[in-house]
Amino acid sequence: MSSELLSSGALERRLAEADATIAALLSGQIDAVIDPRTSTPLLLSAAQSALRESEERYRHIVETTHEGIWTLDADTVVTFVNQRLADLMGYAPDEMVGQSVFEFFPEFFSAPGAPGVPHLQRGHAEEEAVAVSRRDGSKMWALIKTRPICDTNGKYVGILAMMTDWTRHRDAEEALRRNEEQYRQIVETTTDGIVKVDASACIVFTNRRFAEMLGYEPNDIIGMHISEFSSEDAPPGAPAALLSHRPGEKNAFDTSYRRCDGTLVSVNIASVGLFDEGGLCCGSLAVVRDVTNQRRLQSQLMVSDRMASVGTLAAGVAHEINNPLTALIGNLEYINECMASTAGDLKDVYATGRSMRATIPEPLQDAIEAAQRIRFIVHDLKMFSRAPVDVKGSAVDVIAIMESSLRMAWNEIRHRAQLVKEFSPVAFVDASEARLGQVFLNLIMNAAQAIPEGHADENHIRVGIEQTGARVTIAVHDTGAGIPPENIGRVFDAFFTTKAVGIGTGLGLAICHRIVTDIGGELTVESLEGRGTTFCVSLPASECLALDAPTGVALRGGTGRRGRVLIVDDEEILLRLLSRSLASDHDVVALSSGKDALALCAKGERFDMILCDLMMPEMTGMDLCSELARVAPEQADRMVFMTGGAFTARARAFLDASEHPCVEKPFERATVLAILERHILRSPSGDGPA
Amino acid sequence: MVTARRAEPRLHLRLYIAGNAPNSLLAVANAKSLCEEHFAERHVLEIVDLLEQPLRALADAIIVTPTLLKLAPLPAYRVIGNLNDRKQVLLTLSTNDE
Repeated sequence: MSSELLSSGALERRLAEADATIAALLSGQIDAVIDPRTSTPLLLSAAQSALRESEERYRHIVETTHEGIWTLDADTVVTFVNQRLADLMGYAPDEMVGQSVFEFFPEFFSAPGAPGVPHLQRGHAEEEAVAVSRRDGSKMWALIKTRPICDTNGKYVGILAMMTDWTRHRDAEEALRRNEEQYRQIVETTTDGIVKVDASACIVFTNRRFAEMLGYEPNDIIGMHISEFSSEDAPPGAPAALLSHRPGEKNAFDTSYRRCDGTLVSVNIASVGLFDEGGLCCGSLAVVRDVTNQRRLQSQLMVSDRMASVGTLAAGVAHEINNPLTALIGNLEYINECMASTAGDLKDVYATGRSMRATIPEPLQDAIEAAQRIRFIVHDLKMFSRAPVDVKGSAVDVIAIMESSLRMAWNEIRHRAQLVKEFSPVAFVDASEARLGQVFLNLIMNAAQAIPEGHADENHIRVGIEQTGARVTIAVHDTGAGIPPENIGRVFDAFFTTKAVGIGTGLGLAICHRIVTDIGGELTVESLEGRGTTFCVSLPASECLALDAPTGVALRGGTGRRGRVLIVDDEEILLRLLSRSLASDHDVVALSSGKDALALCAKGERFDMILCDLMMPEMTGMDLCSELARVAPEQADRMVFMTGGAFTARARAFLDASEHPCVEKPFERATVLAILERHILRSPSGDGPA
Repeated sequence: MVTARRAEPRLHLRLYIAGNAPNSLLAVANAKSLCEEHFAERHVLEIVDLLEQPLRALADAIIVTPTLLKLAPLPAYRVIGNLNDRKQVLLTLSTNDE
């Protein structure tokens, strides 16, 4: 009984223990199970909890990741979505599970060419950025990565997909693209050329403008070496200058490049070095500006300034001409009157002759002298109005140019100061007469304008010319107002002027500086305020001797043989004068048209000399010459040209190329006679041409 | 009071565990704190690590760890699990036939 009871109680306890064991097992409270045969504890807990932890970990990852995750079964039905994916799409997770994926991503899975299910069934992973629609209809850029899920036998059982919100990324890409587009537009539409070279000065990038500037296609120019464009006119080392940089240093210089077609283009270059992280130069970036037109304008400006100077002086020059002109006209009228009054008394030839001998020589001499003075003034004016083409220059006489300039400016000087000339004999210098004259005139005018009018006896302008070693120095000193120290650094700046608006362009000294620098000289200034200013031009002496040796040395006496002269000029006064002055010694035919002259020669008339005006309406002297060369070549050789100095470009080129003598108006009778004598000597001896 | 204390029977417990397994550690901590709190100086708690002494499991027919044996006072009881349900455990331990 008791044993029964006991055993029954024990059984109950054992059953209760078994229940408790199972409950503990199920609730995971058991660490180990003891194998009753071996008494060996088998640890459960490690494996169990590791599995649980791993599961927890993956669940955590899946639910907290930034990516939306979902799985599809083989029939493309959604089997799982994480919270993130549901949020991205605007659904709750259980609204998506169990639905066909096409409900949510029709674009991605069914668009033509889109990575679809069949593709995935073959086992390919896909990654694609696509636009998807949320539940509320709003669009979102999403990066969707899909990969097939296969069972242990490799059979396709569904799809694992991950989705990232790509909108911000896409926006950033778009912003970057727009930014790049903006820079590209700036680079491509700028009027400056932009070029990037590598460390060996080969072009790695240019914009279209740079290529156009040099006449290439943008693609063809890549890889060319920068020295392939260098011209002989460029300063030496210019290609290297594009590279010789220290970090942060900017470099600006002028040079000229040779275009594809061989022409030159003047450029201004601003470049900056490019450096790698190690501080080594890895190339250079340069902005290249075409300044060809600017240079051309600059030289035109120089000519304009010269013309402006002459214009300023025009009143003074007119005055200079009017004085001798008055003397000339007056004396000629006086002579004319004398002739008229004695003409009535022709019976007394002796008395007439004596009266004329007594009254005429003096006024005649005065008239000639006055005319000579006018001739000098006109010569001076001509010097300043030379075309800008004669920039090359030759060996010129500084003193003669200074004399001309002083004569031009004399009207400005004489009311203000006494002129002191201190000229020592100096060598010639290589320069353009016109440009050097422009410099001198500017300096003299400045000196004169620094001195107020009316105290000429108290002031002086001293012009000194001397030579020290291989340099010729020209100093123009005045006792004028001087330049305040704060302005002295700016006197050579373009458009800097202290004169009132309308007086002077402010370009004079800037242009002088450029002209002097261009021919290898220096222009400097010293000034004491209230005491006066000295401008000093220092020029290298020429190694050449003067080429402009005086021509037309008259042959006294001559051959004594009468020659035959044809004179062609559209100016009737000149025709009559030349006929008169040559008729005593030679046979003269005077014609006012080139056509008549040509017709005469074509008929067989022959002359020792054809003295012809270069510029005439209808047929010019040049035309006549070329026509004669066809009709009567021997006569063409005998042409001598006269010119008033108003050259056209064609006339200048013609004279430079031809060997015909040319006399400049006004000329003296002796000059013409001398040339005529030479031509007569060339003619076959005996009675000359028929 | 002295008499009463003397009259209190001594609680004898044996706890079977498996090394540092989590439930074993929990069971040790729970058993110790229960004894300290409710049976202060009148208990014996014997802890047997079966990883060190596997053969002792045989004597008490232990099949899982952690298992707590109440050896005295009678009736003898065994509690399976990590002893987290302290109320139930205390009730079991307080059962006294004597």
